[in-house]
Amino acid sequence: MPQIFSRGANLVPAQIIAILAILGAAATGTVWYYFTPKYTKVGYMPPQPIPFSHKIHAGQLGLDCRYCHSFVETAAHSNIPAAQVCMNCHSQVQKDNPKLEPLRQAWATGQPIPWVQIHKTPDYAYFNHSVHVNRGVSCVSCHGRIDQMEVVYQEKPLSMKWCLECHRAPENALRPLDKVTDLAWTPPTNGGELAALLKAEMGPGPGQLNVKADSKLKPDEAQLLMGNFLKSRRDIHAPDANCAGCHR
Amino acid sequence: MSKRIVQHPKETGEGPKFWRSFGQLEATSEFKSWQEREFQSGASELSTDVGRRGFLKIMTASAALAGLSMAGCRREEKALVPFTTGVEWSVPGKPIFYATSRPSRRGAQPIVAATHDGRPTKLDGNPLHELSKGGSNLAIQASLLDLYDPDRARRFQQDGKEATEADFTKWATELMAKAGTGESIAFLGEQSSSRTLARLQEEFAKKFPGALWATYEPLGNDEAVAAETASFGASVVPAPRFAHADIILTLDCDFLGTESRPDTTRAFADRRKPEQKMNRLYVVENRYTTTGGMADHRLRVQAGKVAQVARQLAEIVAKETASSDLKSVVEKFPKLETFSGNQEKWIAEMAKDLIANKGRALVLTGSRQPAAVQVLGHAINAALGTSAVEGVTRIGNPAKSIADLTKALRDEKKIKTLFILGGNPVYNAPADLKFREALKGVDVVRFGYYEDETTYEITKINEDGTVPADGRKFVKWHVPAAHFLEAWGDGTAADESHLSQQPMILPLFGGWSEIQLLNFLLTGKKSDGLDLVQETFKQVTGGITITAWAKFLHDGFVKPKDSGRKVNLAFQGGSAATLVAGYEAPKTGIEIVFIPCNKVEDGRFSNNSWIQELPDPITKITWDNAALISPKTARDVFHMQAEQGNGIFKFDNGSWITIQTSEGALEIPVYILPGHADDSISIALGYGRQTEGRVGGRRANMMSHGGFGAKHTQVGFNAYPLRSSKGHYITAATSVTKLDTDKAQTTLARDLFPKGYPLGITQEHGALEARGADLVREATFTTKGEDGKEHEFEKGFARDHEWLEQHHAQDAEAEAFDKLGYPEPRSFYTHPKEGRAALNDPNHQWAMSIDLSTCTGCSACMVACQAENNIPVVGKEQVIEGRELHWIRMDRYFVSVMNGKSDESKKIDIDEPRMVMQPMPCQHCESAPCETVCPVNATVHSDDGINVMAYNRCIGTRYCANNCPFKVRRFNFFDFNMRQKENYFVPNLWNEKGMAETLQLSKNPNVTVRMRGVMEKCTFCVQRVQEAKIAAKVHAKDSSDVRIPTDSFTVACAQVCSAGAIKFGNKADAKSAVNQDIENGRTYRLLDYLGVKPRVHYMARVMNPNHAMPDAPKDEIHELKIASAKEGAQEKGAK
Repeated sequence: MPQIFSRGANLVPAQIIAILAILGAAATGTVWYYFTPKYTKVGYMPPQPIPFSHKIHAGQLGLDCRYCHSFVETAAHSNIPAAQVCMNCHSQVQKDNPKLEPLRQAWATGQPIPWVQIHKTPDYAYFNHSVHVNRGVSCVSCHGRIDQMEVVYQEKPLSMKWCLECHRAPENALRPLDKVTDLAWTPPTNGGELAALLKAEMGPGPGQLNVKADSKLKPDEAQLLMGNFLKSRRDIHAPDANCAGCHR
Repeated sequence: MSKRIVQHPKETGEGPKFWRSFGQLEATSEFKSWQEREFQSGASELSTDVGRRGFLKIMTASAALAGLSMAGCRREEKALVPFTTGVEWSVPGKPIFYATSRPSRRGAQPIVAATHDGRPTKLDGNPLHELSKGGSNLAIQASLLDLYDPDRARRFQQDGKEATEADFTKWATELMAKAGTGESIAFLGEQSSSRTLARLQEEFAKKFPGALWATYEPLGNDEAVAAETASFGASVVPAPRFAHADIILTLDCDFLGTESRPDTTRAFADRRKPEQKMNRLYVVENRYTTTGGMADHRLRVQAGKVAQVARQLAEIVAKETASSDLKSVVEKFPKLETFSGNQEKWIAEMAKDLIANKGRALVLTGSRQPAAVQVLGHAINAALGTSAVEGVTRIGNPAKSIADLTKALRDEKKIKTLFILGGNPVYNAPADLKFREALKGVDVVRFGYYEDETTYEITKINEDGTVPADGRKFVKWHVPAAHFLEAWGDGTAADESHLSQQPMILPLFGGWSEIQLLNFLLTGKKSDGLDLVQETFKQVTGGITITAWAKFLHDGFVKPKDSGRKVNLAFQGGSAATLVAGYEAPKTGIEIVFIPCNKVEDGRFSNNSWIQELPDPITKITWDNAALISPKTARDVFHMQAEQGNGIFKFDNGSWITIQTSEGALEIPVYILPGHADDSISIALGYGRQTEGRVGGRRANMMSHGGFGAKHTQVGFNAYPLRSSKGHYITAATSVTKLDTDKAQTTLARDLFPKGYPLGITQEHGALEARGADLVREATFTTKGEDGKEHEFEKGFARDHEWLEQHHAQDAEAEAFDKLGYPEPRSFYTHPKEGRAALNDPNHQWAMSIDLSTCTGCSACMVACQAENNIPVVGKEQVIEGRELHWIRMDRYFVSVMNGKSDESKKIDIDEPRMVMQPMPCQHCESAPCETVCPVNATVHSDDGINVMAYNRCIGTRYCANNCPFKVRRFNFFDFNMRQKENYFVPNLWNEKGMAETLQLSKNPNVTVRMRGVMEKCTFCVQRVQEAKIAAKVHAKDSSDVRIPTDSFTVACAQVCSAGAIKFGNKADAKSAVNQDIENGRTYRLLDYLGVKPRVHYMARVMNPNHAMPDAPKDEIHELKIASAKEGAQEKGAK
């Protein structure tokens, strides 16, 4: 009696397993990458009712972030400015620019402008702006170089893992308080300059900045030195890295 | 490491027995199921009529829906909408606090409203005002929800048809143009403390002298006013000063419950702490009240016999003090039977104590007792020369009574238009007035918060219980009333200070305030109320400036220019004697006592779901009222006891009885309340409403399981039809019998629940395995010598230490166990580099202390917690299943003495047990058993000592609840927050979801609104902790000073507590109040022998009994003592 299956058929189960494994790996990989906030959220750049350019306002003109986002230092939310704030200038400047028609409409009718939300944490995560900016975490750490964005988009994933990365190593983000809204600022790489800067920043206190005056530092070394110094000065230690820090 | 097995200490058969219910004494299987399981056995099963197939269908449909909604992978576009022009003070996301006041029958209450983006979300006492000092009460907490009640009156109505405000103003203008001297117009209002309303009323009376103005309060103080007028004159009110009272006797006066104000509770509690000279409280009453629960000695007598007690006492006091005024009053008081035996001795010894403490003794008489009895109370106070009563000026204009009004309506027929301002007289007027009939032929303008019984009469009912479109007969006009948070107004506090009432939000449904309406009738113009209030302010303070007005709004109150003068409180024997001569003793036999409800008051809160779901402080009944009777009455009158033998404590709450009075009959279920007077039936008023309200209306309770075949039933039973104008508090029953349900009149008793009415009683819920005596520790306060310094109360606290000594081996094992450091509180997010374990925040370690000596059990904390933490209500049926969600519960125990070791002689006194209350929030154990069993680390410990819940991580295994020795964890069996408003109490498994729009406004934005399948529990108000921490860090800027200032904030339950029984604070801060409490000798932690190290500390309850009294505790309170209190205090503490 001839064999029903050829010899080659012996390989079929192995092939099936192999294919399934590949498919499985592919599926896992797909979900792994494409379903993450990094893929689904980063780069989110919806069109806004008014094509407001942060590049012009914050970059070229050098407006401080807090001119418009005025409550960022006092409240959990960083507010979107009222139309009134825009009109402070635009009642004089660019009065007839057609792009500003929605603003003039809003001002005339009192109907607010529906700006589209870009940076969003989930409802169950209670993020607070004021505590971050008042303790020396710059806007740039979470929002990127807004001052270079023509149209604002989400640069960081704003996922829990991403939050925790920073909360576990806050020294990577801390900087002097008056540099918080200076998005382009990086710590000086010259040891002497860095020491001088921090000396001016803070009086005598705990924590030492171990840097030689004439040393030349790499940018991330400078940040780490400064960050660790500020961390001990401000008694910042893994701030509330438990669920209740963000989830209530 | 072996598993440590802990056996709870066993009852010894001696000493005090703490029990929750007859079921516990009887050890019924139902009670055991409550005690042994984290939820009742049925709670985790789907108890609807949905079979397996039905369930599968639903699940398939859900899965299909889930598939359709894959769009959820892309985020939905959301708009951020800023104001066009900035709003002053408004910072998005930050609450703004406004000082305002809540009008109430007993004077306005100074409050502070927190608003989020223009929505009031929480009310609390005004800390600046000395009457409040930040404390508030149940009514204040719950009145917030009324603002957002979707069932509020939303429209103007003319003859049952929707009308506009303009229609009404046109009609009213014409009416007033023709009014002449006003003889055709009458008003029926509520008691008010508003000076603006009084001023407008006077102006109205000037312009229309013929108009009749009457007021009616179903729980009013007419008798009290009569007694005070006869005793002290018309303009003087005697006010108790608890600070000066060493001995307090209350004659049926619930001054810590239904007759309380936050300031009286606080003043009493301040003297209730054993660290200083404690006051002593004697209570005479017919049913247990929260006041009775606090009593050192309690005499239960029929409410009608309180007069006898008063008279007997007055006789003794008159003799001993030789007071001629009192003597003449007693002589004029008709002779009554006298008590004998133990009761006589009780009264005599108590009288001795009062006389011995002359000048510092205080007698309080219930405001609804007959005026003659209250006069006796005033006379005794005068004879004792007490310094604990002061005179204050009476507020408010004199007005006619509802009886006068009804008479005028019926006989004189001059009145053509009647304005009913608030209240609900058709529902709650005395039955003999036949108020509804008296309204025939009169144009009624109903100004009300709800469209209720007074607004319409139901004339037709469909077979399914609904009312057809033409089934209602409406009054001429219904004008929607504004909530007190929506309108300008003012009020007068009990200390005569003038309180502001400012609008937090525009009227949600275009309602008017009372002063707006009255002003419109006067002037024909609609004012926003501000000018009216400012005019009054001018008169009260003698002028108005911008700064004075701004300060008034900021502080919330101002002292009137004529305040602070001494009011003469001189007892007038003559007029008092005349009044008491007219006293008529009630008929003997079984009495019916109409008691004010601890929760719904006179029915005004009946559509408030927070109130309805709150277990009554005494009976623990939710969503209903019942006829309260004593065990003896149940046995002897209604023969409700099961066969002797093991069933000696077997009573069935919910059995039907029928009550007949001269006015009507009522079929009502009973609740057997230990400590109730025999031959007396107490029924709380304010239930059995016939409105369409979804919470308290005629079809609000949904019974018989779920959405399939559910039966709509009313909420509670209406006792108002039994009341007459004379017997408005106590009335004699013409007959009371056990109801033969076959012959019952109501379908509820005959068809729906013939075997007994299901009451949602929570007294067995959360029953712990431990001995009650270990949970609630008590001692007596004894002072030796005159200096009052030698306190003996430190004895007898450390009960479970006695047990530990007996089980020394186990104790050693426990210690070894502790050394292992397991179960170590842990955080999933321990910092990987620094390796910081939990509980090592050097700046903050949160803890709570609860003083059982001052906690009255009023349960305001439960509702405050509900408001602060977005806790949904679940409905009566779900409460019965044990699914209620209150994060803090109020355990009420009865305490009686076990007097024998063998089981047979273990007869327990169920007639006169004591009562104790124990608030039970999450204990935030440092070694929390719940944390170790969570498979997903949804509940972990924070480094500042809070047992935290991450809702979005919880998968609902409920292992944690299973492992919690305190049973404080709650599970969202259904999407209680997302029920449709039409099916308010149907478990929402398959209906479309949705929360009423107005209710969405009421939520606290800082707390997650939990969904189905999630565990939740007390979080120590972690949102407030975080806010405070953030504020401290923001303040610290680049310094390292991040500690929160001492006691600068507190949690919701501690904030509301006007007795100051709950304190919350930072254990790591030596100066904090909670730290001082923790170091107090009478502080203990629950179930310490389990080694869970709770962060909630209880302070033992200390009583101050008079050892000469016949009911003085012998030794039983000390019975279980053994170890010294020091040992109890020196706990191992936090690491």
